[in-house]
Amino acid sequence: MSAESASAVHKGQVDLLDFIDWSSVECLNQSTTHSLPNAIKQGYREDDGLHLESDADEQLLLYIPFTQVIKLYSIAVKGPEDEGPKTVKLWSNKEHMGFSNVNDFPPNDVAVLSPENLKGKPVLLKYVKFQNVRSLTIFIEDNQTESEITKVQKIQLYGSTVETTDMKGLKKIEDH
Amino acid sequence: MVLEATMICVDNSEWMRNGDYSPSRFQAQSDAVSLICGAKTQSNPENTVGVLTMAAKGVRVLATPTSDLGKILACMHGLEIGGQMNLAAGIQVAQLALKHRQNKKQQQRIIVFAGSPVKHEKKMLELIGRKLKKNSVALDIVNFGEEDEGKTEKLEALLAAVNNNDSSHMVHVPPGPNALSDVLISTPIFTGDGEGGSGFAAAAAAASAGGVSGYDFGVDPNLDPELALALRVSMEEERARQEAAAKKAAEDASKQEKGGGQHAISQDATMTENKTNDLWKQDDESALLQQALAMSMDDPEVSHDVRDTDMSEAATDDPELALALQMSVADSAKDSASQTDVSKLLADQSFVSSVLASLPGVDPNDSSVKDLLASMQSQSDKNEEERPNEEEEK
Repeated sequence: MSAESASAVHKGQVDLLDFIDWSSVECLNQSTTHSLPNAIKQGYREDDGLHLESDADEQLLLYIPFTQVIKLYSIAVKGPEDEGPKTVKLWSNKEHMGFSNVNDFPPNDVAVLSPENLKGKPVLLKYVKFQNVRSLTIFIEDNQTESEITKVQKIQLYGSTVETTDMKGLKKIEDH
Repeated sequence: MVLEATMICVDNSEWMRNGDYSPSRFQAQSDAVSLICGAKTQSNPENTVGVLTMAAKGVRVLATPTSDLGKILACMHGLEIGGQMNLAAGIQVAQLALKHRQNKKQQQRIIVFAGSPVKHEKKMLELIGRKLKKNSVALDIVNFGEEDEGKTEKLEALLAAVNNNDSSHMVHVPPGPNALSDVLISTPIFTGDGEGGSGFAAAAAAASAGGVSGYDFGVDPNLDPELALALRVSMEEERARQEAAAKKAAEDASKQEKGGGQHAISQDATMTENKTNDLWKQDDESALLQQALAMSMDDPEVSHDVRDTDMSEAATDDPELALALQMSVADSAKDSASQTDVSKLLADQSFVSSVLASLPGVDPNDSSVKDLLASMQSQSDKNEEERPNEEEEK
């Protein structure tokens, strides 16, 4: 058991980066210079110099749709010790949420990040709640030190895909 | 061509009965609203616009964001005036209406017409502004009507709180002869964020006499050179008419010189701007003429917008000076069509000498001036030669 939780990537779980539908990714309250791709895009997120920053206040609302139905296993958030996120709420399959209705629906899961998590240690989620995820909404409610701005260096999602039909692979069956 | 959902907040408070904007503040506002709706729907057919009122019986949404222009124009009709404007509630309801727009891909924008005093505290407005920024809603404020110190300050604070990357703007429209809509056409509210005037904006600018945005009349030379020419001609004729009217009032002052000058002015308004080009060329050759021209150039640089008033003032003093002013104010766009007219004008020695006679410090009998006239004559011949070449190239 401990060996499973200690390992960063559980057997069978992959980094869901490839399944993100980039055309519809949204982020509310991000600063224009430090935007969402800095935290999740390949290459950008590895660079610690580039980070996602909040603008008017310390909250951030991210909307990440996927090209396939996935199961979400864990999430790893990397950020600076003082301005990194603390309380992170997750909703699956809720489109176009705004800051006004974050309190209307109970989140599918809540993660409170410790400084250890901020170094990159993934947080295991309630797997059973994320079995059929088309889109993920991440609400960063506050940060470690109650500062005005929240900074996030990297967000990594781990999970697996549900077996969905690949329409391209469908071939016409010949009549015998 | 940004895909946008816009909510327009109309001020229908008691302050809108005032007539300092013609015909009344409320009518001017209605016209502006109709124009904005038209511009938005034209720039992108999927854009939607909605309208709400902020005063009277309270904040009321007249139309939720829709692309149906007729519906919006209909709801602007028969609005009642009364009560006090509630700016904060108006903006918040607008934000809510935008949140529930049908096409979530649209950018959110609120346009507020603030014509009456703002009763809210600056802090509260800043809070609202930050909330708008957080939800990525842009805000345009049209500050018109009542003007008091606190109001402008509060609106500036609101704008600063909302503004994200210059997507929000504030326009201040003081009372005056220009209609509210005309002034708005040249502002970023119509033209978007540096996209350049859409076809609608340029056409709307053509319909009115306003529009000072880089080019003389919107983006005319790029979009429609024929339209640009037509506009320029009509502007010149308008100015000429104004000049003539002002001249009649000042006829007592200098009757003699008027004989030649006035006649020429009312005739050749369009050619005057081209005459300016040729005159400028002679600067090197005649110091006296250079001095006179420099004097007339200085005046228009001061204030482009009120050039009509400047000219009418000058006209009462000296009609020939007014002519020079008029010419120097006009843009120096080369128009090959009227080149032949220019040469004809220059050939008319009597006209030229009458102009020079009234210019202070220029003596027509001076040899240098005579040389100048002779060279201008040859210049006009050269121009005639150049014209066929230009036409060949075309």
